[in-house]
Amino acid sequence: MNYQFQWGVLWSGQSGSWLLQGVLTTLGISALAWILAAALGILSGALRTVPWRPLRAAAVFYVEFFRNVPLLVWMFFWYFGVPPLLPRPVQDWLFNHGAEFWAGMFALGVYHGARMSEVIRSGIQSIPRTQFEASMAMGLTTFQAYRLVIVPIALRLIVPPATNESLNLLKNSSVALTISVAELTFQTRQIETYTAKAIEALTAGTLIYLVLCVSIAAVMAWVERRFRIPGLIARGG
Amino acid sequence: MKRLLSMLVAVALLAAAVPVFAETTLEKIARTGTLTIGTRRGSPPFGFVNKSNEWVGFSIDLVEQAIKPVIEKKLGKPIRVEKKESTPATRIPLLTSNAVDLVAETTTDTRPRRESVDFSLTFFVTGAQFLVKKGSPIHGIQNIAGKRIATQQGSTNARILRERVPGAQLREFPDQPAAFQALAQGQVDAYTNDGIQLAGLKAKAPNPADWEIVGDFYSYEPYGMAMRKNDSDFRQVVNVGLMEAIESGKYAELYEKWFGAKGEVPYPLTPENKRFLQMQVVPK
Repeated sequence: MNYQFQWGVLWSGQSGSWLLQGVLTTLGISALAWILAAALGILSGALRTVPWRPLRAAAVFYVEFFRNVPLLVWMFFWYFGVPPLLPRPVQDWLFNHGAEFWAGMFALGVYHGARMSEVIRSGIQSIPRTQFEASMAMGLTTFQAYRLVIVPIALRLIVPPATNESLNLLKNSSVALTISVAELTFQTRQIETYTAKAIEALTAGTLIYLVLCVSIAAVMAWVERRFRIPGLIARGG
Repeated sequence: MKRLLSMLVAVALLAAAVPVFAETTLEKIARTGTLTIGTRRGSPPFGFVNKSNEWVGFSIDLVEQAIKPVIEKKLGKPIRVEKKESTPATRIPLLTSNAVDLVAETTTDTRPRRESVDFSLTFFVTGAQFLVKKGSPIHGIQNIAGKRIATQQGSTNARILRERVPGAQLREFPDQPAAFQALAQGQVDAYTNDGIQLAGLKAKAPNPADWEIVGDFYSYEPYGMAMRKNDSDFRQVVNVGLMEAIESGKYAELYEKWFGAKGEVPYPLTPENKRFLQMQVVPK
């Protein structure tokens, strides 16, 4: 009853090229979703702290609505729920041009944008109020104070939790396989289908995720060092 | 890094050490009094949840009415059958990790799979076809180049299509309901699976008349029950259970219950398949 390991299945046949395609799809969908999440997160995170209630309320609505529904549901929403709202020819065009990839990208990006928003907000709120008041005293408008002072400092403060979120985003991209996006986890299952060697395929997938995540964490650590403001938050390092 | 490596080594050693203490499947069943099977929740009529929310099906009946009595006779004590959900992606890991003892669902017996698990004799024969909206231009494998075709991930069909019709755009879904939803909404032009599965899906659809099963079988799908490799005593009782059922008419009775004119999915047993089943029964 001993399980017979056959690591050869990982480099025989098409396994290698499948894994590579899977990695590229995972990176592609994650990178695009990350850009969307960062943009939405910065915008709504900043809006949650502005001194004007309707904007704050809109940002709260976005955050609570999107982060409190499971990602899987958002995948189905963007893939099954959104296309029927479009005219039929547009739908057909989309379905022929990778609709699942874009649905998955929006699901991931919008969901993680809501989570990223809270990270940004905590960064902004950890900046002493006096910074904001000093910017005002210098004659900056609210928008300028946010763009030139508050957000740049906040972004530096939140690198560690934002790294966390980014890694989560990368790993959550595997949920997109439920709407047939051929990402890394999908491809490891594909290898299992062809070879019936599940443990080998899953191990390969696990190691690849590990390498990707460790690399991203290393890049983020570099970003943190590179952009630190001496004297402000440069502790350790 | 060194610590990580030593941890990995420890895990690997542990994994290698476990089989030393492993018991045979029959010993495990005798100890726990339970035969744990992996089966489907959404593949009528082999394994599915019916309208009154009971988990039933042809494969489940075969285990409970044909195989369970033989195991009980062999062990000399009553056992119970516990069901766990398995899918194409999880069924082999469920077996090798000892989470289930027998996979009784809709597993096609293939040569690569036989390198990982053992199969019982064939208990059902079907082949892949296409499910389309009525009036669709797709009439079989000859029309699918350039079309969007949904398949079930982990099934043998996707693999065959990829080799035979590289021009088809395959969309692979982890389960039948998602694939059918994609077909119903037009994300895909057709859904391919084993003919009997499509018949089951069609029968369960809100408007069965809107759907058509088209094309000749483009694959040969003999269903077998899967179990852990190199446990011939267990395999023997499973096979004896199936043989006795085919011989005694129990199989025919269950077939009629699920696939007969009044069954869940009417699908008459062809004389050819009936003969094939009988030929698998070796003499007493």
